[in-house]
Formats: sequence, C-alpha cells, structure tokens
Amino acid sequence: MRLTQFLLSKVGKYSKDYSNLPDRYIKRAMEQVEWRNPKGIQYKPNAVAKRTKYKFAMHRPWTSQFREENAPGVHHAKVFVEPIRKWSFFRGDRVEILAGKDKGKQGIVKQIIQERNWVTVEGLNCVLEKVGERKGFEGAYLQVEKPLLVTEQVALVDPSDLQATPFEWRFTEDGEEVRVSTRTGRIIPVPATAEETIDYKTKGTYKEQPKDTAANDVTQITFEPKLQTFEMDVMNSMGIKEDRVPPKYYWY
Amino acid sequence: MFKLASLSSSLGKLTLSSLNNYKNAPLVRCLSVSVPQRGLMEFFDDEKNWGATEVKSGRSWKKEELRLKSNTDLHKLWYVLLKERNMLLTMEQEANDQTQLFPSPERLDKVEESMENLEAVVRERNVAYHQLERGETGERPGRVRTGPFGLKSYHKMCQYLIPQHLNKKHRETHEEYRPNKDTEDFLLKYREKLYLTKKRKQRRNFNHVIGLLNRFPNMDMQALKEQYPDVDIEKAKASRRHRGHFVPK
Repeated sequence: MRLTQFLLSKVGKYSKDYSNLPDRYIKRAMEQVEWRNPKGIQYKPNAVAKRTKYKFAMHRPWTSQFREENAPGVHHAKVFVEPIRKWSFFRGDRVEILAGKDKGKQGIVKQIIQERNWVTVEGLNCVLEKVGERKGFEGAYLQVEKPLLVTEQVALVDPSDLQATPFEWRFTEDGEEVRVSTRTGRIIPVPATAEETIDYKTKGTYKEQPKDTAANDVTQITFEPKLQTFEMDVMNSMGIKEDRVPPKYYWY
Repeated sequence: MFKLASLSSSLGKLTLSSLNNYKNAPLVRCLSVSVPQRGLMEFFDDEKNWGATEVKSGRSWKKEELRLKSNTDLHKLWYVLLKERNMLLTMEQEANDQTQLFPSPERLDKVEESMENLEAVVRERNVAYHQLERGETGERPGRVRTGPFGLKSYHKMCQYLIPQHLNKKHRETHEEYRPNKDTEDFLLKYREKLYLTKKRKQRRNFNHVIGLLNRFPNMDMQALKEQYPDVDIEKAKASRRHRGHFVPK
C-alpha cells in the first residue's frame, strides 16, 4: 500500500488530469513486477519485487512508449528535480519564454509534465525531428515542442499589460486562493482550459455516453434509514424468510 | 450538471429510476426480472465496439453518490456492474486470444472502483447497525499475531465450531511464538537489516539534498524542508561537498 502511494505520488496531479484516467489504471499500466513470491508457506508470503524508479520524460506513464523507455533492465541516470510547494502553471496560461531560441516570445501552455517541472508552449521552443526513416524513404520532419522548466525558463504574463511578471498565491476576501501579479497587483485568473480533458472541454459540456447513468438519476435520493442491515433489507424486499438459527461458533 | 457514472446492462440504457419500477412486491422474487435478451452474447460488448480503437465511458461511482441510494438500488447496481465487469474481462481475454488491442482498458478499473466503493458503502451501513444494536462492528475480527519466526503480522480470525483449546489440529498448524536462541539470533539480524535500510535511506536523502543545493542555489527552502523532513538542511549546507574546496569567510 505504502509503495503504491509512493508510486502514485510521483505522477503529478496536473500531468494526469488532462487524460481523465483513473489513478487505479495509471498505477496498473505503469507497474512492472519482476518477481512475485509463489502462493504457499513463505518466509515473506506477499513479497513482490517491483520497479521503483521510473524515468519521467515526455511520454505519459500509461503509454507504450513510457513502458519502452522504462523496460525491465533499463536504468537511467538520476534526475534532480527542484522541489516546488504549489504548482502554478496550467493548461491555457499565457507565458513568456525566458530562455532558448524563442526567448522573449509569448505563448500558451499546452502540456504539463509535473514530475520534471516541465511545460510545453504551443508552437514555441520547437525542434525538427526526423521520423520514419527507412530504406526507400528518407523520412519526414516533424516540428516537436521541447519542454521548458517552470522554475527558470518561463514566466506568467500579466493580463493587464501583457508583460511577464513575477507572481504570488494570495487569498481574496472570499477565501479563494488566486495568483496575483506582484508588479501590478492584478489577479492572473486560472484559464478555463485548465479543467479541459481529452473527453470534454468543460464539465458542463460533457456529452453523455450510452452506458452513463443520467445526472438526475445519480443525484436522486432513494436512501431511507432503517434499523436493518443491508442483507436484512434486501431479503425483506425480496420476500426471503430466514428462520434458521446459526450454531454457536468461536473466532480464533 | 456533471454527473455520470459507468453503468451498463443488457437492456440498453437501464437507469436506476427505471430499476425502481420493479420494486413492487415480494412476488417479484418468484419472477426473474432480467430478461436474457442476447443470451451468451451478453458476455460480449456491443458489436459496433468490436475492433474500435477507443470506447468512451464516464467515470466510476463515488462513495458520496452511492450513499444516497437505497439498499435495493445498490443490490441491483452491484449486478449491473458485475455483468459489465464480466463483459470487459471476456472482451479482454478475447482480444488477447486474437492478439488484438483491447480498447480503453481503463473501463475495467472504473467498474472495479465502483464495485469497491459500493461494497464500502454497504459495509458502512452494516457497521452502523451492529454498533447501534450490539456495540460491535460485526466485521470479521482480527488481531496482531506473532508468527513462529517472531515476526508480527495481522491475523484475520476464522469461525470454528469448537474452542481453540480443544482444537488439536489448529494448535499444531498455528504454532505460537516461543522465544529460543535461533529465533532471537534471527530477529537481531532482521532488526539490524531494517535499521540499516532506514539509515541508508536517510543518507541517500541527505546526499540528494546536497545535490539539489548545488544545482539550484535559489531553491525554495520551505519546499525542500517539506519534501525531505528527515534531512537536517543546515547540516547539508555546512557540508564540504556543498560549499566546495575553499574556506568560507
């Protein structure tokens, strides 16, 4: 249990939000079991040898590319990631790039890789990558956005004057936590795109799938408190009578 | 409103409200409510999803939503989820057999998560009843037991018809821990191993913090302290490996 929490704590919340996948699936998809003790009498009955150190890069943990990158027997050099107290860059934020060939340009945050403190900015900081090269075909070039460190390579843009600004998290009078530009004192709102996932743009515009329970049916309250256990209630409603007396038994 | 949950049945879109209509009388017990519409094909997905690259689905049922539902509804929902799970497991097996890709495997996790949540809610209700009526949880009891090697583990108790002191076979198979020289030697080494693992982890963290301090001199110290609570950061800063090869002024 502790190990799974540890593993999941490494996949950042904001890097998996867009995929809209359950944590349970992400855990299952990235898990690599090297050894599991067989059933029976063992010195350590439930001993499992799993991969504990993963390399997090541009490929998301549930993809086959990630699995390939972290295949059994593949080991990577240690990566130092600067600790951050609160994540402050969201999908759809306007940021200015402070380093690299697109230094000084502004763009929109497209993807978050929280495990490495990375964001990619739409159409900026790109490189050309050659793909599909084989005999008889010289390959095609793809423009790929390279990641940028949120700690030093990007800065948020103040919406009032469209200039890069340092910022702070502060509380409004309503108790809401907001990002505030320390240069102008203006609030930098979290964009609506931050809640977008691969399945819907906003929660309100979600298109129900054929097997979904309708929202009204989910919120409808049918529970009535009764002095009965679950089994007693279900048996009552189905007309099952049980008058056998269980024998006396001992727990040990 | 954004409320959706994965729920399926052979009857197409069978929602909980339509399930309620069957809650008429005890007579229903004699009649089978669910109609076998597709026979064994209920174990397979809808034909239009065969060979699909992706099958969209909502999210799993949350505990707070399940708490609103009556026992009968939960009972019915359990079987809806169970059938869905059987269908998904069959489809997964079939995809593996035919060396094809099983589309959207996260559906299985959504259904299983819903089933876990449902079971937890039922358990909550039963515990509340037993606490009120009998002053105990009514759950399967357990205790921390010391095994024959002297290692402690949680033992889930079982029901027996005769008390423990009369049960000779149980006594033979479930030996109590009796300290002797061998187990004490073993435990000493075992605890040493645990201690060394703990120490190694502390040292590893300490070295990692030095590495971080060297790479990110303007780092947020509060965040560092939160992430590595067992590391003495002042000591790491004073370390020779952090300050480099010169005498501080």
